[in-house]
Amino acid sequence: MQKPTVTKVLSAVFMVVIAFTALFPLAWMAIAGFKGRDEVLRSPFQFFPDVWRWQNYVEIAQDEAFSKAMVVTFAGAAIFTVCSLLVNSMAAYAFARLDFVGKQFWWVYCIMPMFIPMMAILLTSFVVVVELGMLNTMAVLIIPGVASSFQMFFLRQFYLNYPLAVEEAALVDGASRWKIYTTIFLPQSKAPFVVVGIASFLAYWNSYVWPVLTITDPDLMQIMQLLGTFRSDRGNDWGMLMAGSTLAALPTIVLVLIFQRYIVNGVRIAGMK
Amino acid sequence: MRHIRMRAAAVLAAVVAASAALAGCSSGSGEDDGVAKVTFWQQKFEDYQQAWFKKAVTDFNASQSKVKVELVVVPSDTWDQKLKAAQAAGTQPDVATTNYGRIVPGATEGQFAVLDDLMPASAFADIKDNVKGFVTVGGKHYGYPMLVEPSTVLYYRTDLATAAGLDPKSPPKTWAELLDWSRKLTTDKVKGMTIASNGIDLGWSSWGLQYNACGKLPIASDWSKAAANEACYKDLLDFYRTLYQEKLIPQQPKVGYPDAAPYGGGEVAMMANGSWAIGQLKNSFPQLIAKTAVAPFPSRDGDASKTTATLGGWTLTVDSKSKQPKAAGEFINWLLAGDAKLMSSFFKQSGYSKFTVRKSVDADLATDADATADPFMKIIAEKIVPQGKSEPNYPWDVSLAMGTAIESAMKGTATVDAALQTADKAINTVIEKQALAGKQPK
Amino acid sequence: MQRTAKHLRSGLTAYLMIAPMVILLGIFVFWPLIYSIYLSMHRISFYKDPAFVGFDFYKYVLTDPNFWDTMLTGLKYALFVVPTGIVIALIVATFLKNLNGRPASIMKTTVYVPTVVSSVVASIIFLFIYQDEGLANWFMGFLGVEAVNWLNSPGLALPAIAVPGVWLGLGISTLILLAAMHDIPANYYEAAALDGASAWQRMRYITLPNLKNVLLYLFVTGFTLAIQEFQLPLIMTNGGPVNATTTPNLFIFRSFRDNTEYATSFSLAASLLLFVALGLISLLIFKLVKSDKALDS
Repeated sequence: MQKPTVTKVLSAVFMVVIAFTALFPLAWMAIAGFKGRDEVLRSPFQFFPDVWRWQNYVEIAQDEAFSKAMVVTFAGAAIFTVCSLLVNSMAAYAFARLDFVGKQFWWVYCIMPMFIPMMAILLTSFVVVVELGMLNTMAVLIIPGVASSFQMFFLRQFYLNYPLAVEEAALVDGASRWKIYTTIFLPQSKAPFVVVGIASFLAYWNSYVWPVLTITDPDLMQIMQLLGTFRSDRGNDWGMLMAGSTLAALPTIVLVLIFQRYIVNGVRIAGMK
Repeated sequence: MRHIRMRAAAVLAAVVAASAALAGCSSGSGEDDGVAKVTFWQQKFEDYQQAWFKKAVTDFNASQSKVKVELVVVPSDTWDQKLKAAQAAGTQPDVATTNYGRIVPGATEGQFAVLDDLMPASAFADIKDNVKGFVTVGGKHYGYPMLVEPSTVLYYRTDLATAAGLDPKSPPKTWAELLDWSRKLTTDKVKGMTIASNGIDLGWSSWGLQYNACGKLPIASDWSKAAANEACYKDLLDFYRTLYQEKLIPQQPKVGYPDAAPYGGGEVAMMANGSWAIGQLKNSFPQLIAKTAVAPFPSRDGDASKTTATLGGWTLTVDSKSKQPKAAGEFINWLLAGDAKLMSSFFKQSGYSKFTVRKSVDADLATDADATADPFMKIIAEKIVPQGKSEPNYPWDVSLAMGTAIESAMKGTATVDAALQTADKAINTVIEKQALAGKQPK
Repeated sequence: MQRTAKHLRSGLTAYLMIAPMVILLGIFVFWPLIYSIYLSMHRISFYKDPAFVGFDFYKYVLTDPNFWDTMLTGLKYALFVVPTGIVIALIVATFLKNLNGRPASIMKTTVYVPTVVSSVVASIIFLFIYQDEGLANWFMGFLGVEAVNWLNSPGLALPAIAVPGVWLGLGISTLILLAAMHDIPANYYEAAALDGASAWQRMRYITLPNLKNVLLYLFVTGFTLAIQEFQLPLIMTNGGPVNATTTPNLFIFRSFRDNTEYATSFSLAASLLLFVALGLISLLIFKLVKSDKALDS
């Protein structure tokens, strides 16, 4: 009787520690959003504001440019995520399961971009998208990043974990590779798709430099680009910046809440459970 | 198998269609008949500047029908990437904000259009003599100056000085006196002073004090070799080192040099900062204004006629590849060189934290009761700006070498001597690699 | 005969499957990359014709002691962040896997939440935590230790910056490991339990080998991303004290900003060299952890 209780207490303590570490900075950000312009910076550190300034949040929520940027960025991120899951998972399946001439070469070709620092191709990618006439379109925000070595690599590693036996059985039944990919692998990809899909969504959501370079149209302004205009070397309105960052983080938190059950339930390979 | 492929294709097509539809919302950049379109990129600084520019551009567009200016505000942390990328692709703006330090190298490279062809001579005659040199190369004007801001001004709390037994009427004149004040003003809760302590910030914010220490910058006048390893710079490094090592300045600054928040929050009793800090203090910490005084930054030997600050600030330039140079010149002339009242309104909005470069604007400000009554403006305009030197136009790596030397002396990773030797070597490497010798423009 | 036909068809399918990725990378990565290599061999001004200088800029970068220092800093940073992050993620994931019901779903979401914070905001939050009178020093005081100058001591600044680095990446690594752990057939563990294996033995002989494919991913991408970290030092320390936290990308970013004919090509050459270094490091990891087979093959 003694032992389970000790385990329970320990596990509860561990949960509290994890939760605190994960949530404290976030709570700090949300609460700092209620503070005055320079109250955030004040020493000594104070967690709660002197006066709860709801107007920070109200002002930003009522700002039309802000809500427009949220909607436009959300739409862009959603399309971006779907496209990249399709493109990358297809390639991942091919690299994990198929043998073909030149596989080694194309594997290196597809994995190499992972190691290219952003600064190495920033200027020249810009030249390319200008030549393609993509400036000031949603396409310039979405298409260049769709093919992602990180994501393809991740999905390939996951597909490597799938038992060959299932696939061989399907092949014996006369199924084609396309059929195996669409009817066996895709339906089983929920958990990795959620993990990596949310990461893609966030990568789009949090991107800053690329939108600043390619978008000047106020109608297409991205959320981090807009938040960037809150910052300055010569004094910041920290309260507003934190309130804005909190509001900008909300949609992504909601997404995590919605999709977390797919991860919680986990994946089971058909017939293996 | 076929129908599966069809379905995948259908999904893809739908996605492409959706993104194309979104792409469709983009604005076209077609040119309307007879109207010259001018793009204008402005680097973001204080919020009030954006408000002023936005209104001015709207007014300009409404005032006539031949030129339409499109204003784009660019965050300062991405300015260089955006501008260089645009230059590489040929989509750079017609008009851009350019700081003084970049005029000469940019002009030498052929980046800017000569403004004398685009603006009337009277516009240039109005520029003050000490600033004229900042925007001219070979007798031609490559930028029209908007304002100057001394990079180093001493701010101090009169109430805390009195409480510490110091006379707020006679602020420190020498570095030794400043150290003395800092020691007396430092308490458990409040540091006596704040100044740059990071190599990057030091690289540019110490230019004025480098001039003050040695009467020149750490490079030979023809850029043929470094001159950092000199005894006079040792005093400069010692001064910074003492401030940091004796814990007279914050050990972990929260914000960079140009941000006055720690002074505003009452964490420090004195502050070295640019004149722009006045704007921030007036806007965010109005309760401090009555308890704040400004003075020229102390000099190494107490000689107040020696430079302690460089004059930074903005000009507007026209790109040499602009397709609408005439219209761009017209806009700059209207905005910066036209009605003196317009520029006066800018300085008023800045809380008189920036200074005009035009004689006519000075004359207009003299009739403004707020300006003449401002406690800070007079001191800065009369005692600091006239002594101010232009920012150096050598590559940043030279400045960074000196900034790093000061920082390593402060943080104790090198002795003063070793730090200066390293800087000297680094500057010589820059000279060699970038082939600077004899390249000093003008 | 039939074999060949089938083989060809499978080859065609494979090419169709990788085609979208290959084409997109070609246009948006390799074309710019080749153009960058071309530019890095020229002294470029965008207002004059570029002058060909061959490998001069590569020589300048390689003879710049600052470049080597920053590479070392990047490597050290990665060594602080990646192994620590993966070990913590493994512990947390193992713990979460054994939870059931409501606490499980709440905790899984909680762990993931920090991931949504942008690194700009994380930098600002941790900047405050490290202040003289911030949370970290309050905790030190609680332990009876004197206040620490976290961000301005040459030896401490880099580890101090690594903490938000670990914090930001923990959510996603934990979830990746968790998802992969769910893939390990339960009967492996049941068999081990019958043999009376301890928790450590189960980890060592069942969990870790079965996570090999995913761990490889975490190590390779972890190192690649950590060495390229740039936002955290930029905001928290501006690369200081005395360049102790100047990571390679921060160095490249800085050299890029100067408006001279030299700066652009120099930073391009430096970033291309960083690319080579990252490729080599990853190649090493790929060799160390061999993973290109299905687990049951």
